[in-house]
Amino acid sequence: MSTSRKREEFARYKADVKNEGKSFFPYAVFHDAVMSLVVVGVIIGLASIWYFTSGEEPGDAGILGPRYTDEADPSSIGFVPRPDWYFFFLFYLLRIFKWPESVILGTVGIPTIALVLLLAVPFIDRGRERRLLRRPVAVVASLLVIASLGILTWKGATAKEGAIGAEAAIPGWIERGNLVEGAEGVIATDPALAGVSPEQAGQLVLEGAELFAQSACLDCHLFQGAGSENLGAPDLTEEGLRGRGVQWQIDHLRDPQSTTPGSLMPSFGSLSEEQLRALSVFLESAR
Amino acid sequence: MAARARSARQQQIEQLLLAPINWIEERSGLVSATKRFLFRKVPRDVSWAQTLGSATLTAFLVQLATGVILAMYYRPDPATAYASIQHITNDLTWGWLVRGMHRWGASVFIILMFLHLGRVFLFGAYRYPRELNWLIGVLILVLSLLEGFTGYLLPWDQTSYWATVVGININGTAPILGPFIADFLKGGAEIGTETLARFYSLHMLLIPGGLIALIGLHLYLVTRLGVVSPPWSKEAAGRERDEVETRKRGLVEPRPRGNANRNGSDQA
Amino acid sequence: MNESNEEETRDRGFAEALAPAGFAAGIILALIGLVIAGESNSGWIVLAIGVVLALVFGFSWAYRATRGLRETPEPPPELAAPDVAEEPEDAVAPKRYSRGVFLTGATAGVSGLIGAAVTVPIVGFAVAPAFVGQGERDIDLGPIDNFPQGEFVITTFDYRDNEAPSVNRRTAYIRNNGFINEVPSFTVISNRCTHLGCPVQPAGPTGAPVELETASGPVSLTRVQPANFSCPCHGGAYDTEGNRTAGPPVRALDRYSFLIRNGNLVLSERFSVSEVTGEGANARMKAFKLYPPGTHVDGPDEWMTPWVS
Repeated sequence: MSTSRKREEFARYKADVKNEGKSFFPYAVFHDAVMSLVVVGVIIGLASIWYFTSGEEPGDAGILGPRYTDEADPSSIGFVPRPDWYFFFLFYLLRIFKWPESVILGTVGIPTIALVLLLAVPFIDRGRERRLLRRPVAVVASLLVIASLGILTWKGATAKEGAIGAEAAIPGWIERGNLVEGAEGVIATDPALAGVSPEQAGQLVLEGAELFAQSACLDCHLFQGAGSENLGAPDLTEEGLRGRGVQWQIDHLRDPQSTTPGSLMPSFGSLSEEQLRALSVFLESAR
Repeated sequence: MAARARSARQQQIEQLLLAPINWIEERSGLVSATKRFLFRKVPRDVSWAQTLGSATLTAFLVQLATGVILAMYYRPDPATAYASIQHITNDLTWGWLVRGMHRWGASVFIILMFLHLGRVFLFGAYRYPRELNWLIGVLILVLSLLEGFTGYLLPWDQTSYWATVVGININGTAPILGPFIADFLKGGAEIGTETLARFYSLHMLLIPGGLIALIGLHLYLVTRLGVVSPPWSKEAAGRERDEVETRKRGLVEPRPRGNANRNGSDQA
Repeated sequence: MNESNEEETRDRGFAEALAPAGFAAGIILALIGLVIAGESNSGWIVLAIGVVLALVFGFSWAYRATRGLRETPEPPPELAAPDVAEEPEDAVAPKRYSRGVFLTGATAGVSGLIGAAVTVPIVGFAVAPAFVGQGERDIDLGPIDNFPQGEFVITTFDYRDNEAPSVNRRTAYIRNNGFINEVPSFTVISNRCTHLGCPVQPAGPTGAPVELETASGPVSLTRVQPANFSCPCHGGAYDTEGNRTAGPPVRALDRYSFLIRNGNLVLSERFSVSEVTGEGANARMKAFKLYPPGTHVDGPDEWMTPWVS
């Protein structure tokens, strides 16, 4: 559209506002004031919910998260940081680019392109039509952006992570998964466990669960909703239902590629025979 | 007689009230400027959708006010930062509320900014002559995200620390300047005392200063260029009139308001 | 009449030369006073005399230099305006404009000078210290007997002095590889992921921590049997030599160089590694200066980080 027509239209806008418009104060300000009251109310409400549902202890989370986590510890060996929610889409972009050569796309590439596109909007779309139905490209583009930001933020918010300090969850796992009963069943039927008495079930499961929690299994596997889904590792919540048997589990742990060719899992051959057996009983009893 | 006496007294009181205002006006012109701002005309179909901008401003002002107070109690040093945050949250009167408002106000501020941006996009309000204001708005968004990033480190808990490690290293992967920016942000080779002081200064002074300046410019341009009508409005300011409408308008209202003025402005 | 005129001119010339010379002498005296003041108190007296001299002569210099400006009044603007319009442009206009142009240029120059005088130190102060070494030191981890041969030990230590623990603590995974040609060999791996710097986790059961106090402050040792090292943030995985096996990391884990001093294991600088071949004491690797996470040390995109190497 030509510059002169743009100017003409803006002059018409100015004239219309002057002749037909309403005074900003108090007609428009009233709406603004009500909206601002809502905003302040929401902020105070969120602050109250956050405070009154959480506790003084670090990490004691309420509905809206904890007041603070533990004090910063640069020597930590396994803390998973989360950004504030409005960076979740960036956070999840990092998870999408899982190959070394593509890291820069997720860190710098895509965010920069998005920012440049955002800045360029008024120079790309230079028409005058403002009605939505007659701006299909703009509407579709904005819907796509909203959808992708929404999905990335949602995925970022619900992304599973390696559960650090998973030992605390062990009693819950054993109770919810009915693991002791499962282990008794495994001991009764599995040929690799001949000579093991059913009374040892509880102790074997506990030992296996501790090994499971300490061995960073949850960095790649899910178990009862905890952990993360990395490198295509399967969910182990019902591993026992696959019917592989304790011996298979021991072989697999010792040399994953021998039972599952192409597996990315590292060998756990550094564990002792007893430790491997306990871990396998734990996995087999998960059914 | 009584009426006249009352009006004289009224006049006296009015005089008393107006005197300081007139004093200021005569020396600065601020009162008339405020009046021009408040009593300026906006399109008559302006409604709730256009309140998102002022709501964002309100959230920003909440951040300013709460942030200034938090700075009175917060200690930007790794040895004491975490303890001061616990002290603010658990011990000080209303400390939890002020910190909570600052923390959640940040989220509300960002959400409102995105909603405002979406509204401006859908209304096509970035078009001539408002392109510059769109650019300023995007800059405000970027600075606000930086404000969020720098503020996230200040509690100095595990989440802050490791999120900042990742955030700084993300900057570090940028080509050419990346490692330079990362070192500048850290104030050295490692995250430490200098980093916290640096983030505090950026979060407290530099970025808010830039934000206040840009928001002032943004508001000035909004006042100068006006607010657009919703695109679906039948009586949108600046709409095209077809002949029929113009004629009808002429029948109902003998004085063609819009056209007369339009011709006037064309001549000017 | 003639004589006195000449005398006056000579006088003025003398006075004009006196003021700058006196000003310069005052400044020099003041500077000398500053230098001496470090040694003895008489310096302060010299400094004060210098400052007074500089102020007196400086003022008289400025007073004389600006006399011409103060004495020639500007033509009133009401008169000036028609002048410009009536007289031929080339006769008057360049002369009139030249002052304006000069002042514009001078103001721009002065502003630029002020800007530079303020900005350069500020920016330098904000940026430069970030690139100066922060005094890393050798870290004493105690007797090497604390590191059982062939096992990894999660070792936590203070990497610098005089800082809060929340700044200072670092972790390395250390394995004693035994002796090679009677020289002890250790594998010392940093716990920072080379993707984006999250802490990597040893995948294996840990023992109870042993705390000890060395010359470098508190050290904590925890035995561990890792199958590998994995990063819970974005799924990076490394083998027990620190080589990347899966996920987004761009290179092997960084390492610490070490030395043995009086039977103690001492860590010094960190360095980056592209890839490790061989195992334990026989491991061979190409060492690079410490790179930030997320950057290749020997890839085709190396040009992207010229600041590092």
